[in-house]
Amino acid sequence: MTTRTAIIAANGELFDAYKVFNIATAAAASEHEVTIFFTFEGLNLIHKQASANLPLPKGKEHFAEGFKNANVPSIPELIAMSQELGVKFIACQMTMDVMGLEVDAFVDGIDVGGAVTFLEFAKEADVTLTF
Amino acid sequence: MMETAHILDAKGLACPMPIVRTRKAIQGLSPGDVLEVLATDKGSTADIKAWAASSGHAYLGTETEADVLHHFLKKDSAQIEVKEGIPVMDLKTFVKKVDEDKSLTIVDVREEREYHEGHFPGALHIPLSEKESQMHELNKSEDIYLICQTGRRSGIAGIQLAENGFKNLYNVVPGMTEWTKQTKKGELKS
Repeated sequence: MTTRTAIIAANGELFDAYKVFNIATAAAASEHEVTIFFTFEGLNLIHKQASANLPLPKGKEHFAEGFKNANVPSIPELIAMSQELGVKFIACQMTMDVMGLEVDAFVDGIDVGGAVTFLEFAKEADVTLTF
Repeated sequence: MMETAHILDAKGLACPMPIVRTRKAIQGLSPGDVLEVLATDKGSTADIKAWAASSGHAYLGTETEADVLHHFLKKDSAQIEVKEGIPVMDLKTFVKKVDEDKSLTIVDVREEREYHEGHFPGALHIPLSEKESQMHELNKSEDIYLICQTGRRSGIAGIQLAENGFKNLYNVVPGMTEWTKQTKKGELKS
């Protein structure tokens, strides 16, 4: 049976994005079925403009150099790779309403849903992670 | 002509890229093919091992050369386990034996590039990835000494040969990784 990994992305800085997309791509590359639910600040991670310019946490700006030196892929690259590997993205409808965002503000190929949409997937998940 | 093993260059890539690329590369291969993954990500050894176990491929081992890790995987071959190994021969004992008897049947199961970088004089070259098609070149009643870089791949080759009716097999351990040191001193260089 396929292993399922359910991830909640609830924060919107660069470190959060790497945690979410590294685990998601690694899981998908290991043939897991992966769904990420993006909620509140987590929506930044799939926002067309914001995802390409995510901030480093305050006081940690010096890590920008480290990211460059370690040759880690950019967040837009990781998003594309995740989608290519079949990772499903769900944007939280409620947060979008609160923030006044429409679906076209986000990268293509996402679903919009509520908490229950995610829970339906997560209840059968073998791995559940929150970032 | 010996076919070269499939090589994936994932040097310089950070986690999880070596795994993502490995998955993609192995999809294009046939069951039983050997993939060599070059990586500099130090975490990749543990990752490749775990990934292979969960994806049904056999992890054959990792050789380190300077700062580059060479991971060897055999597609769809998770059933190959080092369960009951063939007898082991210590490299020093083996080197002595080679000095005394030049007609020993030595089979080097490493891949083409490794074999060309240095091998025992007179060693037959049958890479692990090719072994099944070339087994018939060997005489089942002869003593056969199997060697690779560390003894892991030659151990797997030995088990497969034993399953095919070969009786007198020896796995030379630790393999070429120790022997090349002697070649630098000018001894035994072919």
